[in-house]
Amino acid sequence: MEMAPGRIATWTAWAVIVFLQLPVLVVVLAAFSTTSYLTIPPQGWTLAWFAKVLSDPAWLGAIRMSLFLAFGATAIALALGTAAAYAIARRMVPGADALTALVMAPLVMPSVVIGVALLQFYALTGLRGSIFGLLMAHVVITVPYIVRAALTSLAGLDGALEEAARVLGATGPEAFRLVTLPLIRPGLVAGALFAFITSLDNVPVTIFLISARQTTLPVLIFSSVEMGVDPSVAAISTLLIIATGGILLLAERRFGFHRFI
Amino acid sequence: MDAPLAARGCALSALAFERVGKSYGATEVVRDVSLSVAEGEFVALLGPSGCGKTTLLRMVAGLVAPSTGRVLIGAQDVTALSPDKRGVGLVFQSYALFPHLTVFENVAFGLRRQRVSGAVLSERVEAALAMVRLPGLAARRPSELSGGQQQRVAIARAIAPRPRVLLFDEPLSNLDAQLRDEMQIELKRLQRSLGITTLFVTHDQSEALSMADRVCVMAHGVVQQFDTPEAVYHRPATAFVAGFIGRPNRLAGRIAADGRIDLGGGVLLAAGEAGATGTAVEAIIRQEAIAITGDGDGLPGTIVLRAFNGARVQYVVRLAEGVELVAETASSGAHSGLEPGTPVRLAIAPGAVFALPVA
Repeated sequence: MEMAPGRIATWTAWAVIVFLQLPVLVVVLAAFSTTSYLTIPPQGWTLAWFAKVLSDPAWLGAIRMSLFLAFGATAIALALGTAAAYAIARRMVPGADALTALVMAPLVMPSVVIGVALLQFYALTGLRGSIFGLLMAHVVITVPYIVRAALTSLAGLDGALEEAARVLGATGPEAFRLVTLPLIRPGLVAGALFAFITSLDNVPVTIFLISARQTTLPVLIFSSVEMGVDPSVAAISTLLIIATGGILLLAERRFGFHRFI
Repeated sequence: MDAPLAARGCALSALAFERVGKSYGATEVVRDVSLSVAEGEFVALLGPSGCGKTTLLRMVAGLVAPSTGRVLIGAQDVTALSPDKRGVGLVFQSYALFPHLTVFENVAFGLRRQRVSGAVLSERVEAALAMVRLPGLAARRPSELSGGQQQRVAIARAIAPRPRVLLFDEPLSNLDAQLRDEMQIELKRLQRSLGITTLFVTHDQSEALSMADRVCVMAHGVVQQFDTPEAVYHRPATAFVAGFIGRPNRLAGRIAADGRIDLGGGVLLAAGEAGATGTAVEAIIRQEAIAITGDGDGLPGTIVLRAFNGARVQYVVRLAEGVELVAETASSGAHSGLEPGTPVRLAIAPGAVFALPVA
């Protein structure tokens, strides 16, 4: 029997979704297996791997490091990116278009290239292996998300709003704080979430810059898999999936996140 | 005895531009404008888009810095003063209401900047909303209001802090025709009762003529005429004003040897000020300045078309091959029922004809 084009499209869509989501399911299921190796379907049910991960100082250290980098980089990128986007959107700087391209470059540049470039730069400046250097690297890769979100929000804003605030007696900073910031906040939150997740997830840049003592969660997952897989990797991955899923759900409920992607 | 005129003008003026100019690169948008607005006066800045009227308005608010000259509010030179220190009220074309704040907080915005709070704040917000006849909506968001209501909130927000000067930037252009007529009268009444010196930018001549005490007609960044609505209408100072105000006929012509305008086809028209013989001009003749007479003196012509629009009847009259103009008369008048093909005579006062040199 011949299928209508509409049905074919529907089935293709479902096939793609299943193909994309299946690995996630596999990882989550594997985390509960009682075996000491990754296997599907899981043999038996246990939470032991979660307990192991959450009591292992190596994993906990990596989680702490990743959260520090993600929160720190997002906060710094939020401040810098919003300021840059504001200056660009209000044409306060010459060559605003060129500047936009420059700030957005890390988004299109291969991460490995950024990693190698920063490695050489840090070797020259003595920042290699320092937490500050790593934090700055994460700022570089997260700032484009903030700038993009802020630029989009600012473009949708009537420039007369801030002028109205000024004429009504607000100073420049007051006008920004009382009018512009509340109006671009949903966009900034969306950008910050992207930035946070990007930092939390980053391997290709981080792996070049990390010191022997300090490592991040995704880099530790990466190296653990290389050394041989036990379900603790699946357990930590499951925790990551739950955490990011939870954040995205919250953001969607609160701000209508999908409008900013 | 009498103080010099200039000094007297200074003492009386609530708002003044002194030799103000503005250029963006090589483009001059405002050229050497000097204006003085009296206390409590309602002045309309009228002109086509790009004539510099909005730039002048924004200079008063401090949103545009003049390249040359000074802006004074009362006796104070505000040229270098930032917008928040000027104490003016501005109603934007887009209204620019704060969408994240309620109507109450929008109106309270300027008052809060003046550290007004508590019962006094509520009282003054309510008073401003009552002024624009919009009570009971204080808790709404701007998005929940109609265009006309948003307009009123914008006006209430501008007047609540009791500004020294009130500025309007084409505030009625986003309203439909009937609401616009209502608001014209209401705004004028409001301005009278507040007595605040007002500058009103518009490209709509009927708005400017009906609302303002004085009208400043601008073109190409230059003040063409600054006078009462009656004077601007009846005694246009420049050919531009003559062509911009009223409903003008525009006909191509050339200055003849006797100083009249030759419109071609043997039609010659006496003009107030003509210019050098042979100059190519555009003859500007107000529709309402042309009197239709059945016979006797005047230019001979033939009715081509009749259009009845209620109060007036408009005729297209052919004076010669290729020379046609529009004349109008009251629909209750003697010559309101002329059919196409009827020969008529047109009496045109020389003072109502202007010759605009063609560039």
